[in-house]
Amino acid sequence: MAQIFPRWTNELPLRIAAGSVVAAGLLVGGIWYYFSPEYTDVGYQPRQPVAYSHKLHAGELGIDCLYCHSTVDRAPVAVVPPTQVCLNCHRVVKRDSPALGPILESSTSGRPVRWVRVHNLPGYAFFDHRPHLRAGVGCATCHGRIDQMDVVAQAEPLSMSWCVDCHRNPDPYLRPELEVTTMDWSAPRDQLQLAANLRAAKNLHPPLDCTGCHR
Amino acid sequence: MPPVSAPPPAQPDAAAGTGPRSAACGPGCGCGSGAPPRREREHWRSLDELADTAAARAFREREFPEGASELPDDIDRRTLVQLLGATLSLAGLAACRRPVENIVPFVTPPDDLVPGVPKRYATTMPFGIGGYGLVVESHEGRPTKVEGNELHPATLGSASAQMQASILGLYDPDRSPHVLARAAAGGDAASGFERRAWSDFVAAWKAQEEGHLASGGAGLAILAPASSSPTCYRLAAEVRRRFPALRWATWEAVGEENALAGAALLAGRPLRLTCDLAAARVVVSLDADLLLGESEAVAHARGFAAGRQLRTESDTMNRLWVVESALTTTGAMADHRLPLASGEMGAFALALAAQLAAAGVDVGLPPGIPAGAPAAVPARWLAALVSDLAANRGRSLVVAGRDQPPAVHALALAINGALGNVGGPGAPVTLREPVDVLAPSTAELSALVTAMRGDAVSTLFVLGGNPVYDAPADLAFESALARVGSVVHLGLAVDETAARAHWHLPEAHFLEAWGDCRASDGTASVVQPLIEPLFGGHSAIELLRLLATGDEQSGYDAVRETWAGLLPAAEDPLAFDVAFHRVLHDGLLAGSAAAPVAMPGVPALPAEVVTALAARAPSGGGLEIVFRPGPAVHDGRFANVGWLQELPDAMSKMTWGNAALLAPRTAARLGLENEDGARLGLGAPAGGAAVELPVWIVPGQAEETVVVHLGYGRRAAGRVGTGVGADVYPLRRSAQLGFAAGATLEPTGRRHRIAQTQDHGTMEGRPIVREAALEEWRRDPRFAEEMVEVPESGPLWKEHQYTAGPQWAMTVDLNVCTGCNACVVACQSENNVPVVGHEQVRRGREMHWLRVDRYFSGPPDAPEACFQPVPCMQCENAPCEQVCPVAATVHTADGLNAMVYNRCIGTRYCSNNCPYKVRRFNFFNYTKDTPELLKLAANPEVTVRSRGVMEKCTYCVQRIQAAKIDAKMAERPLADGDVKTACQQTCPTQAIVFGDLRDPGAQVNERKQRSRNYVLLAELGNRPRTSYLARIRNPHPDLAQA
Repeated sequence: MAQIFPRWTNELPLRIAAGSVVAAGLLVGGIWYYFSPEYTDVGYQPRQPVAYSHKLHAGELGIDCLYCHSTVDRAPVAVVPPTQVCLNCHRVVKRDSPALGPILESSTSGRPVRWVRVHNLPGYAFFDHRPHLRAGVGCATCHGRIDQMDVVAQAEPLSMSWCVDCHRNPDPYLRPELEVTTMDWSAPRDQLQLAANLRAAKNLHPPLDCTGCHR
Repeated sequence: MPPVSAPPPAQPDAAAGTGPRSAACGPGCGCGSGAPPRREREHWRSLDELADTAAARAFREREFPEGASELPDDIDRRTLVQLLGATLSLAGLAACRRPVENIVPFVTPPDDLVPGVPKRYATTMPFGIGGYGLVVESHEGRPTKVEGNELHPATLGSASAQMQASILGLYDPDRSPHVLARAAAGGDAASGFERRAWSDFVAAWKAQEEGHLASGGAGLAILAPASSSPTCYRLAAEVRRRFPALRWATWEAVGEENALAGAALLAGRPLRLTCDLAAARVVVSLDADLLLGESEAVAHARGFAAGRQLRTESDTMNRLWVVESALTTTGAMADHRLPLASGEMGAFALALAAQLAAAGVDVGLPPGIPAGAPAAVPARWLAALVSDLAANRGRSLVVAGRDQPPAVHALALAINGALGNVGGPGAPVTLREPVDVLAPSTAELSALVTAMRGDAVSTLFVLGGNPVYDAPADLAFESALARVGSVVHLGLAVDETAARAHWHLPEAHFLEAWGDCRASDGTASVVQPLIEPLFGGHSAIELLRLLATGDEQSGYDAVRETWAGLLPAAEDPLAFDVAFHRVLHDGLLAGSAAAPVAMPGVPALPAEVVTALAARAPSGGGLEIVFRPGPAVHDGRFANVGWLQELPDAMSKMTWGNAALLAPRTAARLGLENEDGARLGLGAPAGGAAVELPVWIVPGQAEETVVVHLGYGRRAAGRVGTGVGADVYPLRRSAQLGFAAGATLEPTGRRHRIAQTQDHGTMEGRPIVREAALEEWRRDPRFAEEMVEVPESGPLWKEHQYTAGPQWAMTVDLNVCTGCNACVVACQSENNVPVVGHEQVRRGREMHWLRVDRYFSGPPDAPEACFQPVPCMQCENAPCEQVCPVAATVHTADGLNAMVYNRCIGTRYCSNNCPYKVRRFNFFNYTKDTPELLKLAANPEVTVRSRGVMEKCTYCVQRIQAAKIDAKMAERPLADGDVKTACQQTCPTQAIVFGDLRDPGAQVNERKQRSRNYVLLAELGNRPRTSYLARIRNPHPDLAQA
C-alpha cells in the first residue's frame, strides 16, 4: 500500500508544537502589551468641544492649575471650571476670538459645555485628590506636562499597578506641598531625604489595602 | 476546611424541653457549686424548629434554603443557553470601544456647592399630628440618605425605618407627573383622564369660586389628613373664614384620636400626652407598642434604653410590663409579658386601678364597680405589678395603646395622675395643649360622608391621603364620593382615590416642598425642601392658600408668613432672616415646646368612663380581630417602597405581604397551619365582609385573636406595592377601628406562599444569643463569655498582625436592641443594597447585609423573645478569606475583612465557609432594571454590585475612608466618634457602638470591657471584631422563677 503521507509529515507534530508555543507566546505577549492600559489608555486625546489650549493658558500665560480646577484641594474631584470662570477673563480679553464661540454660546444660552473626560477611572475605583495634594504629589506626576499640551492627552496609564507602585514607594514622587502645581518642578539631588522628611512630618501612610480605593 | 478546634454541636434534634441545648456548660455557670443554678434557656427561632419537624430538620441541614442556588422557575435550559450566548457576544462587543464620558460643569455655579462633597440639611417629616426632625444628605443636589436630627425631640438623631425609606418615596417612579382632569369624552381611555396644566386647574377653580363665595361655601368640603403644621392650621382657619359654611373633615386611618379623646374625658379638653421613658423605673404598656408601632417610638426607645444601661453589676435597670394581644417588639423587650385580648384591656385596666386603690393609691374610682380581672390574668401577676407600681410612685408610667378606646386612655392617665407620674420637671408623663393640630376625627369623616350621600357636597378637596382605600368600610366612602360633582385630589400618585376624582393634582413630597410642623411636644420646625419638585407638584399648603385667598403664593412665602408670628424678631426683616435661618439650620425653633399643663390633684373618674369599661366585657362569640398598621407600610402610604416591603417584620420575619396572625393554640383549634389560606369574616354572614389571606402562627399572641396588618392589598400603589398582601380595610368599621369581636376564620383549602426570613441560617442549637436574669448576672457577671469553652489552639498559618493604625471593632448591646429594623434600612440606604422581591426572598436570596435574628425561648403560648442584629463579624481570623481562590476577600491592616467586588468570580466558597452566614450573593443583576429616577437615591460613594458577585457588610468602609481623609486634611488624629457606621448612627437605642480598639478612650473599648461582653461562636477561633453584650431581664422578685 502506497504511503499516504509524505515523509516530511513526520516532523509535523513537532512543528505544530513549536508553532503553538510561539503562537501562544505571541498571544500572551500581545495581550500583555496591547491590552494594557499603558497601550490602550496612554495617549488618549479626545476632541474637546472648545479649542482650549492648556499650553497657552497654563504654559505661556502661567495661570495656576487651581485658578480653574478650584476644588481640587477641598473635594475628591477637581472640577472642570464653570463657564463663568472662563468669562472672568474673557469678558474683556479676546472677546472676538472664534475659539471662544462655544463658551459665549454657553453663557448666553445657559447650556453647559459638555467636555470629554480624559482621565477616566473605573466606577469601582474611588479616587480623592485631597490626600494626594496634601502628601505633595504634583499635578504633573499623574497628568503629565499639561502645560505643554494644546489638547490634553492622558500621560500615564492610571492602571492599578501604576497606582500601587507609587503607594508602595512614594519617595521618588513627593515634593513640597507648595510646589504641587509647579509643572516644571524637578526632583532635587537629595530627593530621597526630602521625601523621608515629608513622610515623617505629614505622617504619610499611603494605603495598600483594597479598601483604600475599592468600596 | 472546618476549623479543627470546634466542639461538635449539640444534637439539634434533642426533644424540646428535655434539657439545655447549649454545647457546653461554662465553668462559671454554677453547676454543682453552692450558688443556685442559672436558668438555662432554650432558644428556638420558629415553631417548626421547636416541634422539630422533618421539614425544619431538612431546612437546617441544607444550610441554605432549598432553591437558594437554582434559577427561577421561569427560565428553562434553552432560555439559559440563549442568554449565555447573548451575554458572551455582548461582552465581546462592549469591550471594543472605550466609553466616552462627559464632564458637564455648571454655567454659573451655586455659591456653596462643591461637586463631590455632600451637604446636609435639616428638615422635618410630617407624620400625623407630629413630625420627625431629620438631617438629609444631598449629593450635588439630590437627597440620598435620611438620618435623624440630634436636636429634635422626636428623633434625637435616630431615624426609623420608615423615615429613612421616605427617600424612595421621593424617587418613586410611579409618582404622578401630570395634573390630570377627567376627560369629558375620549382622552386616555384606560384611565379616563387627560393631561392638563396646573394653570388649567386654577382657572377651573376660579370659575367655581364665585358661586361658592356667594353660598358661603355650603357645597364645599375639604377632607384633609391629620396635621400639626402651623401654616396649614392658619390657612385652614382662613379658608373657613372665607367659606363659613364649608365642611372640614380630618381623617387618618391610624391616628391619635383615642389618646386625645381619653385626655378629654378627664380634663374636659383634648390634651397631648408625651412619655419620657428615661424617667420611669416601671413602665406598663396596655396594648401599646411603645418601642416600634406608636408614633413617638424613636424617642420612647431612646428613653427605654437609658434605663437599661448596665455598665457595672451595681447598676439598676427599669422594668417593663406588657399586656398585649399581638406580639410586638415591645412585648419582646418586656420583663413580664401577658397575652390578653385587646377587648379585655379595659377590664384589665379597671382591675389594676381597683387593686391600686386597695394598695392605697387613690385612682378616683367610684365605688361599687365590678373590677375583677379577666380570667387570663394570674392574680399573682397582677399583685406583683400593683406592688411594683405602688413602690415607684412618681417614677412609673402606664400607657394605653393607640387603638384602645378613650376610656382606657382616660383610666391610664388617671392611674398616672394618682401615682404622681404626671407633670413637674423630669416626670414620666407630661400633658400639653395641642398646638396647631388638625386632629383626626372619625366623627368628622362620618358627618362628611353623610353630607356627601345627601348631595350636600358639590366640590370636595382631598388634600392628600387615600380615603377610598383606607376609610372605614361601613361608611362606604367610595359610593358616597360618586355623588360629589367635583372631586379634587391632591396626592403623590394616581392612587385609589385619584382614580375616582375629577381632578388629580400631583403633590410635592415633603423633601420637595416648604412646610412646617410641630412635634408631639409642640416644638416647631420647618419642612425644608432638598430638591425642586421633580414633577412640578404642589403642597397642601399651596392649595390651601389658593382656597384661602384666591391667589397663588409659593409655599416658602406662606411658611415665612406664618413664622413671622412664631419668631420673636419679626418686626425687623434682617433679624427675622437671621432667626429664620437659625431655625432652618438647627431644624427646629429652640424652646418652642408647649408649656406643660398641670394635672389638678387626683381627678375623679367620670362615671361614663367607668361604665364604658365595665360594659366592655369580652364578647363570647367568635374571634377577636385586631387591626394594626403594617409595621413597615403603615396605613398603606409606604406600599410602593421596596425597602419597606422587603423589610422582615420584627416578630414574624415576614416580607412582602400580610397574614392572619394566630396564636398556636387557636390555629390548632381551627385546624390551620402556616401558609394555609383562610377566609376572615366579620359581621353577619349575609351583610358582613370577608377577606382571604394566609395564616401565620405567632407564638405568644393572645388566644382567640386574629391580628391583621393594614396597608396591604393596594389596588393602585404602583409597580412595587400593587396587589401585595391582602386588603383588610373592608373589615374595619368606624366604631371599631382598633379591634372588633365576632370575627370568623374558615379554611379555604388553598395554600399561599409567604416569603419570610425566619429560619435562614439556623445556628444549630449553640448558645448564640445569651441572656440571664439581673440577679443571675450579678452573681455570675461573666456568664455570657463563659457559656462556651474556647479551646487553646495554635495558629495554622501566619496570622495578621494588628499593631498599627486604628483597629476597627463593634459591639451590639442585646439588652437594648428592640429589633426595630432601623439599622437594616440604614445599611440598605448607605450601601446600595438591592431589593430582590417576593420570589427571591422565598429562596433565601435576600440581600440585607445586616439581618436582625429573633429568637424565642420558653413555652410557645407565652414565650420570651429577644433580638440579635448580625452584620459581618469582621473576624480577625476569617474563614471566608482562607477559601477564596482569587483573593477577592482579604484582610486590611485596620482589621476589616474587605470584599473586592471586581475580583470576585462568584464561587460562593466564602459564603459556605462563613459560620455566621452574613455573606450575600447577587444571583441576578438586581439593579439592572432600576428606573432612572430611583438611581438618584443611590449612594455615590459605594459601588453598585452586579450579578455573580458576593457582598457583605464592610463596617461602612466608605465612611471610614472619608473620616480618615477629613482628619488628615484637618491635620488632626482620628477621634472617637469620627466614624459612625450607618447602623450605629441610626440606632434609636444606641445599641451599636463602633470604634478603634487601639484608642483607650474609645466607647467601644468601654463596652467590650463590660462583663456581659461575648463573641459569637468564640469556640471556632475566628476572633470576630464584632461582639455582643448579653441580654439581661429584670423579673419582679415575686414572679422570678426558681
